[in-house]
Amino acid sequence: MMKKILFLIFLFSGFASLAQQNAEPPKRIVVGRDIGQLKGIRISGRIIDEITGEALVGATITVPELDLTRITDTNGFFELVLDRAEYNLTFRYVGYETIDYPITAVGDGRISIRMIQEDFQLDDVVIYGRDPEKNIRSTDMGAVTLSMNTMRELPPFFGEVDIVRSLATLPGVSQVGEASSGLNVRGGGVDQNLIQFGGAPIYNPSHMFGLFTAFNPDVVNDVTLYKAVVPARFGGRSSAILDIIPKAGSVDKWGVDLMAGTYTGKVSVNGPLIKDKVSILGGFRISYINWLLQTLTDPVLNNSNANFYDGNLVISAPISDNNEFMYSYYTSYDDFAFASDTTISWKNTAHSLQWKSKLSEKLSMEALGFYSGYNFGVFNRSGINDFQINSDILDLGGKLFVSYNFSPTNKVTFGGEYKQIEIQPGELIPGEQGEVLPRKVQNEFGREMAGHFQHEFELGEKLGFSYGLRYDFYQYLGARTVRQYAENQPISDGSAIGEINYADGEVIQSYDGLGPRASIRYSFNKSTSIKAGYNKMYQFIHLISNTATIAPFDLWKLSDNYLKPQIADQYSLGFYKNFKGNIFETSIEFYYKDLQNVVEYKDGANLIVRNHIETELVPAQGQAYGAELYIKKNLGRLTGWISYTYSRALRRVITPYEEENINDGEWYASNFDKPNDLTVIGNYKVSTNTSISATVAYSTGRPVTFPEAKFDYSGNSLAYFDNRNQDRMPDFFRIDFAANFKLKGSGKFFEGDWTFSVLNVLGRKNPYSIFFGDAPGLPPQSLRLALLGVPLPSLSYAIKF
Amino acid sequence: MSKNWIYLVFFFLLGCIDPFPVEVPEGEQLLTVEGLIHSGPGPHIIQLSRSATYGSDLQSLIRPVVGATVIVRSDDGEVTFLGEREGVRGAYFTPEGWRAQIGKAYTLYIETPEGTLYSSFPERVESVPEIQSLGIRTVVVPQPGGGPERSGVQIIADINDPADQNNFYFWRLGAANYILETRPDLYTTPAPERNPAPKDCCVVCYRTDIPNNRSLFIAVDDDFNGLSTRIPVGFVEDDGLRFVNKYRVDVNQYSISQDAFRFLRLVKQQAEISGSIFDPPPANIRGNMISLDNPDEVVLGYFMAAGEASKRIYVDQAELTFKQNRAIIPDDCRVVPNATIDPPFDWNPNE
Repeated sequence: MMKKILFLIFLFSGFASLAQQNAEPPKRIVVGRDIGQLKGIRISGRIIDEITGEALVGATITVPELDLTRITDTNGFFELVLDRAEYNLTFRYVGYETIDYPITAVGDGRISIRMIQEDFQLDDVVIYGRDPEKNIRSTDMGAVTLSMNTMRELPPFFGEVDIVRSLATLPGVSQVGEASSGLNVRGGGVDQNLIQFGGAPIYNPSHMFGLFTAFNPDVVNDVTLYKAVVPARFGGRSSAILDIIPKAGSVDKWGVDLMAGTYTGKVSVNGPLIKDKVSILGGFRISYINWLLQTLTDPVLNNSNANFYDGNLVISAPISDNNEFMYSYYTSYDDFAFASDTTISWKNTAHSLQWKSKLSEKLSMEALGFYSGYNFGVFNRSGINDFQINSDILDLGGKLFVSYNFSPTNKVTFGGEYKQIEIQPGELIPGEQGEVLPRKVQNEFGREMAGHFQHEFELGEKLGFSYGLRYDFYQYLGARTVRQYAENQPISDGSAIGEINYADGEVIQSYDGLGPRASIRYSFNKSTSIKAGYNKMYQFIHLISNTATIAPFDLWKLSDNYLKPQIADQYSLGFYKNFKGNIFETSIEFYYKDLQNVVEYKDGANLIVRNHIETELVPAQGQAYGAELYIKKNLGRLTGWISYTYSRALRRVITPYEEENINDGEWYASNFDKPNDLTVIGNYKVSTNTSISATVAYSTGRPVTFPEAKFDYSGNSLAYFDNRNQDRMPDFFRIDFAANFKLKGSGKFFEGDWTFSVLNVLGRKNPYSIFFGDAPGLPPQSLRLALLGVPLPSLSYAIKF
Repeated sequence: MSKNWIYLVFFFLLGCIDPFPVEVPEGEQLLTVEGLIHSGPGPHIIQLSRSATYGSDLQSLIRPVVGATVIVRSDDGEVTFLGEREGVRGAYFTPEGWRAQIGKAYTLYIETPEGTLYSSFPERVESVPEIQSLGIRTVVVPQPGGGPERSGVQIIADINDPADQNNFYFWRLGAANYILETRPDLYTTPAPERNPAPKDCCVVCYRTDIPNNRSLFIAVDDDFNGLSTRIPVGFVEDDGLRFVNKYRVDVNQYSISQDAFRFLRLVKQQAEISGSIFDPPPANIRGNMISLDNPDEVVLGYFMAAGEASKRIYVDQAELTFKQNRAIIPDDCRVVPNATIDPPFDWNPNE
């Protein structure tokens, strides 16, 4: 019945042509003016959403006759070069009805494709990205793209699509706990991932210490995570690359998205600044947790505050078929005080300007310039010795990327990158009445340069190769005073023997390295393949933190004379098989990763506003290995996936000095070592307008250090800890549930969406941490911190004009 | 800078901290040393105990070590024996009148009743600046859930930090006394009768207070080297009795070594752990004691030697900006433990 009503709505709301198209086989269309051209016929086109007019980025165009696949660019454009013949083109896009489009190509021409969302017509959901057979056919390994449409099928977190949490449902990707920022990818630390938004690096991707991800999903087009063989064009971090592509606005008409949730509200507006030429997209999201806090009577909460917002602006100018510019601005801000006179705040800012140009049929180029800033501040207004602490990071850089296609199956890319980094690690500024000395840690300056090359080609249908090389060159620069330490002694304040002053811009230390990347693919048939790969990555910037998650006041530190670059070698092997016409996608991947110069901390390290931080750090070796199993159902009323990972992430600290070794120089589990990790996600479409989804997550509890003994000092009962991470917390288990109801207003102009979700349906108190405390009035004992210890409902309502 | 202010609001909205028994290894009985000798008047105390299993009630008793031989030896060869006193098990006292000398380094030697020998690393007694003056500030701590607020007096010291050395400070509250006021007129006979039986005496007593030094007050002069500065050096909770009239306390300021400071910072860090997601990970708190018989044996605690400066403050109730409701003791003030009708011989609030 519902289907029929919808069908009628379609008929009456101007979709007659499409309905007709569905009713009878599509007619063959003659494209181009016939001037007798036989070869090199250029057919360009653009794919847009039938209803909103927005460009569909990353839609697939397949030409089965030539075994050719093309993908639309960020403005929905594509181009085909064909010989004079008949072709049965197919246009596909995630969540949209596939369009069969038979043509006869007779001359250069343009076609315009309007695609329509599936849920207007079908009860089914499609969650594959870009190209359903990409996992089998491409030589890429460990690259996962999640489109917003896929992420929308997951139970939301606090009523919203959450990019970081969506990625954590994938095999080999995890988080330390329920409110932690950042991702641990294949045994790597959170700082080993490069997170870039529109090409600019982002240092703190979270709001409220990690409860929310600091990217507004409404302005994101898609997210790609490279966890294995990272293409040579990416580098600078040793584990993974998270590439977030902002969405371009419509060049056709104006649209507005509004959402009101339990904790946040957001709005985004997009439309043509100049019709068909320049579009703009602006998004803003703000939390109203602070207002909720003010209404509470509890004095502790009442005296606390928690604000955050993020904002985006994207201007996109597809000035011609061959040239487009895109400017992206991103900012996020947080401040937080917990019943105290101390406020902590942090802010990200990123600008990027990208120019994509198609120089010829085979040659294309991308140039990108970016500026990125991160700042945190601590403000103390206690009335005694008021102070504030500020810290900043500034990145400025550019990238050039050139791609030359010898043929659709033989492509070379190369390019270069330059980035300069300035870090102000901390400055303590006394307040007006403060009797505190101002203190400033020396600024750090560094320069990263890289050149890269990659060649991808296929030998017949079965064999595919990709190999590449990236050369990273890094310089640590003055002005700086560098402390020298006595040889054959541990680096400590006590072993300092002198200082060397370096002038402005003088090179203090250089590091370089060659990072080969290679992968090979063998396809047994169209639905089965095996791939193997290797890559080496270098990292010159390190997160100096002694907490398990990214804290806003954690410092980033450049490699210097004492802190060497982190180096990762990764070997991967995978089997891929799709069943039933790509409805089921399965894979099993194995990896082994070797890490050098990972930063570890001496016991009780003091890291805040400190010169000579090298005295608190020790270099560690890392070792990670695992097997990842992934089964995904792409299509049907029930969609979803199961991902299971068995992995280990280990660390070892052996130094020439026995007293600096950790756990006597034995391998030990890192803070995020969770051997068994299982996620099951299901989304069931009950009717056209209603869907329900659930996530079940299980993992081994993370490592923890239990005390060897209890002793008394100064009236406090204290725990004596010896070896790190020798014990485990209880296993983690959580079920989330969500229901989504779509309300159709007046058809094509208005669309409403109610989402009701419950996090932690079972109300299980999964420990975030177990600690040992001697609180007054209680015996010294082990205590559990559970963050989401109760079922947490939230409701959100989104509308679209 | 302490991180314990960083809780998440969401703790209270959604999350919680609760006791969670875990299986901990049976604790070793490690020798624990707590002691500070200094240049001020003694006696100075070294306390010896044995560690126990964490969290387990039966095995968690920390036992004092009695019958040990405890010696402090200076770098110029002076040897001082510390003796036990009746009624205080595990505490060893320096002889009457003994003081540590500024500039000398001291080493602690212990022989346990089992005959095992232990030694500290030498600790040098550094000079310490005087406390210029003391002041107070009322502190009010709201309670989660809206319960009655706790409050108290934070004691703030003015010091002139010497510019020519890196100073590590440690403060402890010493002897304290206050004027205790009770209500003998409200006395009732014991239960079950509870008949009014007002007493004529006594309303005002002087009570000796034992300051709680559980919260550690330490500082390093990185931020105020060579400056005069104001620093919180102690806290006295308002229990409804202490700040009814006048309260006095001695503040002792010690110049400790850099290693002792690091040790106390770790103790403080662990003692203040709050269960926030940014709590530092457990740290191995290493002291300066070693076993002379078995170098691999772990000895807990720290032996400190320091210069001492002391100053006294009288706090009048009118100086507090927030006070707890007065606690009522319906009896003769003399029946309250540690209270007498006579003021201490040196009670002089107007000094």
